[in-house]
Amino acid sequence: MAKQMLIDAIRGKKTPRAPWVPYAGVHCAFVIGEPADKFLQDPKLLAKGVVETAKKYKADGIPLVFDLSVESASMGLEIKWWPDNVPSVQSHPLSDKTVEEAGLKVPGPEDGRWPVLFEAAALAKPQLDEMDCALMGLACGPLTLASHLAGVRIFTDVYKNKAKAHEILKFCAEVVEKSAESYCKMGCDIVAIVDPVASQIKDETFREFVHPYCQAAIATIHRYGKTSSFFICGDATKVMESVCKIGTHGFAIDEQLNMNFVRDLARKHGVGFGGNLKLTLALSLGILSPREDAIVSLAAGGNHGFVFAPG
Amino acid sequence: MSDQKVKIDVLTLDSVQCAACGYMMESIAAMPPDVQEMIEYKEWSIKTKSGIGKFLELNGKVLPTICIEGDLVFESIIPQYEELIDELAKRAPTPEMSERIKSLRDVGFDFDNIKANLQKAGSGLNTRAD
Repeated sequence: MAKQMLIDAIRGKKTPRAPWVPYAGVHCAFVIGEPADKFLQDPKLLAKGVVETAKKYKADGIPLVFDLSVESASMGLEIKWWPDNVPSVQSHPLSDKTVEEAGLKVPGPEDGRWPVLFEAAALAKPQLDEMDCALMGLACGPLTLASHLAGVRIFTDVYKNKAKAHEILKFCAEVVEKSAESYCKMGCDIVAIVDPVASQIKDETFREFVHPYCQAAIATIHRYGKTSSFFICGDATKVMESVCKIGTHGFAIDEQLNMNFVRDLARKHGVGFGGNLKLTLALSLGILSPREDAIVSLAAGGNHGFVFAPG
Repeated sequence: MSDQKVKIDVLTLDSVQCAACGYMMESIAAMPPDVQEMIEYKEWSIKTKSGIGKFLELNGKVLPTICIEGDLVFESIIPQYEELIDELAKRAPTPEMSERIKSLRDVGFDFDNIKANLQKAGSGLNTRAD
């Protein structure tokens, strides 16, 4: 396990080998034989699951949680829990109200599940340090948070009601910054802004509604001396150049992108890149050989700014 | 009114786990009642055998994708209301239905019945690996 190697790779540097990060998420619950809903709400189980999973997979880094409902739940949005999946957001208070009318406040470390995460991090961090494994904090990105708050209408408002969309995104930027700060304070070595739905919009929309609203969080991560990343899902080809320019040290993509394309783009911009083991086709379904898929990924990524990880 | 409906298949990873997949489903569920009467939609999660079968049958390339009458129409892009209306109208089974869909172009999304419509469509209920 090699925490510094992972940090170097995310920062776009050459490394002796490609560091490895399993984005285990609720799989950590499976590893310790607990249901996901119980695991995510119990700091001791959370810490146990993360540490055991890091050990099992010989990880160079591991996220504390991969759950984009944390911020929403901390603001009182309705959450549906699942025993074998992450919670899903059920209510969208800004679909017909302003931030003020809905009474939303930027959640702090005492709100919602944040105390659970702080306690879990305090338990897991020393054990991960002993294994030389980095702890990663994943903050919900501004557009994904805006879609949780306003529902699917945000994807219309970014075109037709820009003033309203900007108002929502401005609030989301404050929440994301606070979230990033919380992960820095709980000792995460790497903090990523995770904005999966940012791949589902046009590039000019990304530049107008995602880029500016990530800047405060990125500045905070860097002010704390931490390493920053930006995670995006889906076929993000159309926004990849903008992802490279967002200001984080590196980024991570999923299985739907061509690794050679991503590698060349990342190196052109001097940032690190991570991915993209085929999570569904190989790891989950076994349609492709996971071994051969890993070899292809490692060969494409090389050892210059590359983090080997599921996509 | 004809019993014929415009068939929509939404290819997803899993609308519970994947936010983009969830909002792709919501974009269909937010169509107003008059449009809901003329469409039928289903989520096909690639985590299930039937989902893989549908992905291959439709020659899917990326997730999530909205397919209308077997065509891959919105691939990794969450559609606007008018875009959905136009694509539905193009593929309506009868000229009358096509005209009726077009006449609803100015109505806009209905955000009040999304949850009920998603339940009716079984969104998120068929996303477990089998």
